[in-house]
Amino acid sequence: MRNIIISNNPLVAEKYENVFFVDGSVEETLVKVRDLVYEGHELVSHPLAASLRVLFSPYRSVIVANQCEQLNFDHAEIIEGSICKYKKHMDVRKADEANSDDYKTVDLLLLQSALNDEKGKW
Amino acid sequence: MSDKFKVLYYVNQFFGQIGGEDKAGIEPEFRKEKVGPAIGFESKLKSEGEVIGTLICGDNYFNEHKEESLSFVMDVIKKEAPDIFVAGPAFNAGRYGVACAEICKAVADEMGIPVVTGMYIENPGLDTCRKEAYVIETSDSAGGMRKALPSMAKITCKLAKGLEIGSPEEEGFIARGMRKSLIVEKRGSLRAVEMLLKRLKGEEFETEMPMPVFNIVEPAAAIKDLSKATIALCTSGGIVPAGNPDHIQSASAQKWGKYDVSGRDALNAPDFYTTHGGYDPVYANEIPDRVAPLDILKEFEKEGYIGKVNNYFYTTTGTGTSVANAVKFGTEIGKELKEAGVDGVILTST
Amino acid sequence: MKLEIGRIFIKDIQLGSETSVKSGVLTVDESGLIAKLKEDERIKDVKIDVARPGEKVRIIPVKDVIEPRVKIEGGLNGFPGVTAKPAQCGEGRTQVLYGAAVVTVGDIVGFQEGVIDMWGEGAKWTPFSQTYNLTVDINVIDGIDPHTHEEIVRIAGLRAAEFIGQAGKDVTPDEVLTFEIGSVFEETAKYPNLPKVLYAEMMITQGLLHDTYIYGVNAQTILPAVLHPNEELDSAVISGNCVAACDKITTYQHQNNSVILDLYAEHGKEINFMGCIMAPEHTTLAGKFRVSDYTVKLAKLLGADAVVVSEEGYGNPDSDLLMICKKCEKAGIKTVLITDECAGRDGMSQPLADTAVEAVAVVSTGNVSHVITVEPAEKVIGKAESIAVLAGGWDGALAEDGTFQCELNAVIGSTSEIGFHNVTCRLY
Repeated sequence: MRNIIISNNPLVAEKYENVFFVDGSVEETLVKVRDLVYEGHELVSHPLAASLRVLFSPYRSVIVANQCEQLNFDHAEIIEGSICKYKKHMDVRKADEANSDDYKTVDLLLLQSALNDEKGKW
Repeated sequence: MSDKFKVLYYVNQFFGQIGGEDKAGIEPEFRKEKVGPAIGFESKLKSEGEVIGTLICGDNYFNEHKEESLSFVMDVIKKEAPDIFVAGPAFNAGRYGVACAEICKAVADEMGIPVVTGMYIENPGLDTCRKEAYVIETSDSAGGMRKALPSMAKITCKLAKGLEIGSPEEEGFIARGMRKSLIVEKRGSLRAVEMLLKRLKGEEFETEMPMPVFNIVEPAAAIKDLSKATIALCTSGGIVPAGNPDHIQSASAQKWGKYDVSGRDALNAPDFYTTHGGYDPVYANEIPDRVAPLDILKEFEKEGYIGKVNNYFYTTTGTGTSVANAVKFGTEIGKELKEAGVDGVILTST
Repeated sequence: MKLEIGRIFIKDIQLGSETSVKSGVLTVDESGLIAKLKEDERIKDVKIDVARPGEKVRIIPVKDVIEPRVKIEGGLNGFPGVTAKPAQCGEGRTQVLYGAAVVTVGDIVGFQEGVIDMWGEGAKWTPFSQTYNLTVDINVIDGIDPHTHEEIVRIAGLRAAEFIGQAGKDVTPDEVLTFEIGSVFEETAKYPNLPKVLYAEMMITQGLLHDTYIYGVNAQTILPAVLHPNEELDSAVISGNCVAACDKITTYQHQNNSVILDLYAEHGKEINFMGCIMAPEHTTLAGKFRVSDYTVKLAKLLGADAVVVSEEGYGNPDSDLLMICKKCEKAGIKTVLITDECAGRDGMSQPLADTAVEAVAVVSTGNVSHVITVEPAEKVIGKAESIAVLAGGWDGALAEDGTFQCELNAVIGSTSEIGFHNVTCRLY
């Protein structure tokens, strides 16, 4: 496998094989991504969504490269910045649990879209 | 009952007309009258408010007995229950500025009432209270009193009456770092095009999102042979010998300390503990090496992995400490380490 | 390319039995419009309503806003590539029902929130409290997947705007605006000494609820493309974004892109406005690198001296914005960026995560977390339950009398990063 998906979304874990499932929050998922980046895995997809409403989602999936190389400082900066930004919003907010199922679906579909972008690459 | 709003005022021994440097050690006192700048200040309130009393404290006393001074001041403020608290202006007086800042911050945090002071932009007290207080920008000496008081009084009136505060430029205060959302006359795209035209013509333009400026320190060259290197230990985690002999502050440190550790294997309890007021001290007090790992460094020294551990260990408290003070501490400590022939430093923070 | 926009000023909307404009009053044939939209058999029912400036009306959740128009000369009517056959946009004469808007309502997922308040505090923060809004609330039949659902609502909104736009066909406009820019060679010959300026418009293109279309092409699949500014002003670009309420570019905002309009105003005077680069925002880092490289390459190829860059959305697109900025500045091309920021509820936290030393000229369109307090509406158009989505953000946000606090990020167009609205942040 070229990529690993780090996700706390059960729908993603069901559908794909190359998933590292985080049984926890989005923050824990992002922290796992951060740890992998420091170990030398590059980010394939950006850790954050493109809108605030989806930032409030209780589910998040991020793609990182399976291969472990030297630490990529730009990627470390991106994941650290993303965690800061995530916490800035969510530390003062309640997670929107009422729409969990919709968030799961949208996270899955956005992930699929990102994976499509990655198709046909070596 | 008067319908005027009530102001409580703070000044140091000098502006409290007690005396100069020789009286800087006097303990805090409270007088139910207007003293020094409080008189001129009240006259600028246009009878809308009154100064109900003046707190006076010696600058040295405050800085050396911060907790006692603050607790005295807070007791008075709680008892007198002013609508608004005013301190200074401190101009560029460092200890006075720090006292005004610490008190303003404490009053804002604990009492939730508006606080106003005045300072020169480089006053070391500024960073401590710029978010909590409205700090009127003053000149660097008491010659600026006549200009400072009207601005301080004007913003005090607005705050007391709950009126909207204008921009820092309009009101004369030092920006608190707040990003205020406003509706303005020109839409964003027009502002962008105007900014573009200025940039293209080489005219001055003002970005709407100033990027923070960081001091980038160029890293020193790598140590070639660790086994011959002298390594020093330095922390902002507030680890001090029992009793805190140099009275290093638990927050907003004004000083640093150095302690001979040449005869020790570790910074063990109860000989050492932390005076840091910004984190849960339980684990640090159990084993102070958790914050400043002298034990491991000494092991490395024995193994020959490093050449030597510096005889002195350096320490201060990081929490709330102003950037200006931190820069000063760093420069002073760096100079000593260089003179002592230290090759590398382990710096720990909390 | 020369485009004339004939503006017919609309001063009210009424529902009736014919579609027409008389003395500035737009009458919409309600049953005719519903019948037209229900030609799509996947639509179960349609509710039409009107919201006027000042009325105590709340519209939620808003999907898109579209300006009703009709093409009377050159090109094809409608939205070429979507509701009409492929055709060139940006030429001839287009008549606009200026001051009217079609607002589509209908939730594809439960967490949509975009709100338009027509009165009071909420109205200050959205540009669409100033338009006469014809709301189109669409319900689809059961068993429709989210992608198809989004598409049905998106296209229904466009078709409604097209249907209503017909009312302006034979009306003499109150004002005619002319937009004309020739080839880059012609313009450069005319204005040899004026700085050459491009507009790089970033678009959310990331999948479901996060898409933009150009001539009907999903922009996720394109490399950055150069458009003549007239094309976008003439309905070539369409929004498929259902989230990012505060900073998405609705179709209306594409049709009236304020950056294009304000750059146009300086064309031939202070600048030589050479066109728009449409830059997709990808979720993958590879996509972000590719697009930023390609955008800068196009700017260099066209010899641009400066680029205005506008963002769409918040979060991962902030990376694209800074990449484009850094690479442009490195290539000697001056940038002005337009973006919103997050400074926390109280404005006291710094937007540290999104900084670059190269970003020296930035327009801030406001703090997405700025909290506003709004009173209960007399009438809610759309789905009243959606109010819970935006009101339930944190403890104490909802008062007993129905007054609630929400962040600007839930308000349509509040912090528009094409600078469509008048919000900003200042250091206090």
